[in-house]
Amino acid sequence: MSAAAATATAAAVASSVCQAVDLSDWRNLLAVIWDFLSLSLFSLGGGNTLLNEYHHMAVDQYCWLSSRQFADIYAIAEAAPGPSSMIVGLLGMGAAVKEGPAWALLSGVVAEVSILLPSTVLMVVAALSWNRLRNSPWRVAFERGLGPITLGILFSVGLKILRISDHDTPAYAVSLVVCVLMLRTKISPLWFMAVAGVMGALGIVNR
Amino acid sequence: MTTSAAPSRLQLFLGMQQVALSSFGGGLSAWSERIVVEDRHWMSKEEFITGLTVARLFPGPNQINMAVYIGSRFHGLSGAVVALLGILLLPFSVLLLLGLSYYYLHATLAVDRVLAGVITASAGMALSMGFKIAGAYTRDPVALLLAGVSFIAMSVFHVRLVPLVLVAGPVAMAWYWPRGERR
Repeated sequence: MSAAAATATAAAVASSVCQAVDLSDWRNLLAVIWDFLSLSLFSLGGGNTLLNEYHHMAVDQYCWLSSRQFADIYAIAEAAPGPSSMIVGLLGMGAAVKEGPAWALLSGVVAEVSILLPSTVLMVVAALSWNRLRNSPWRVAFERGLGPITLGILFSVGLKILRISDHDTPAYAVSLVVCVLMLRTKISPLWFMAVAGVMGALGIVNR
Repeated sequence: MTTSAAPSRLQLFLGMQQVALSSFGGGLSAWSERIVVEDRHWMSKEEFITGLTVARLFPGPNQINMAVYIGSRFHGLSGAVVALLGILLLPFSVLLLLGLSYYYLHATLAVDRVLAGVITASAGMALSMGFKIAGAYTRDPVALLLAGVSFIAMSVFHVRLVPLVLVAGPVAMAWYWPRGERR
């Protein structure tokens, strides 16, 4: 293990007693691929409903990351261009960090492909048969029924991210202000992250 | 509104890549519509909106589903893969580079303090997701009950997503099953 990798994983090891398994062992790799494949079709509401499951997998089940690192990569995925659901690539990367950058990259790509594969295949079928599906009672019941469940899950996800990210009053205050501005204005979220980043650098908000 | 001839796979790839490039900084959905409907006339506005409906309904990230929808309309599965590669290749590469620098270089104190601030903003963004769609349900007590039960199951009793959806989903679908005149 290189010195850099040791530093990067130190936080994860310190915060829990369990040790991450080696993904270069193909059995571990297959188990993880299966986990992402089987979550794919449950990504309701654009995929954000899966964030609690990602946290559970990465922090509690496999000990790839600390909660603090999870909060960091969530922020990075939100700030980066492209769909924020690409956070799965960063999770996969975190899973193999201690095995070096090459494994980390491979693992990131494999995780992203696994989470997208089933939903993509289903989407192709949906696109090609939409004219028959559109008036089906199944479609109506699915859309109306799963909407409220998605709503409840999104609140649960929001609360979870809030809890792992904020640890003092100024931090909670910033989050609440950003939440209100997200709902009331059309300002790009990048501005909120930039301003909050400066506040962090100045020591106004801390971990 | 007329639509031009179906794009080739290469055109699909390049078009989706342009959507990804234009949206560095946000607004993926708006760019997608501008490029696919207004600039290249691959679809009419109505077709595009139908696509968005399907993309939101089915599991998966909405904008990625939309790319899959557009690609598969013209070339089936291979079109979907090409469109997906087009929209993901650049942003995902950038993300992997950011990830590498985070995992291997972030030990410096300055970066860590900036991140400590940035995560408070992203937490606020996460919190806003629920409120954003809550408006559609405030006049339906059953929907609010379902949302409340799902929230409590997950946040208080730590029920995992898959069993929650497998139990609550069918109950909710049965309640909202279309019954002619009733709704």
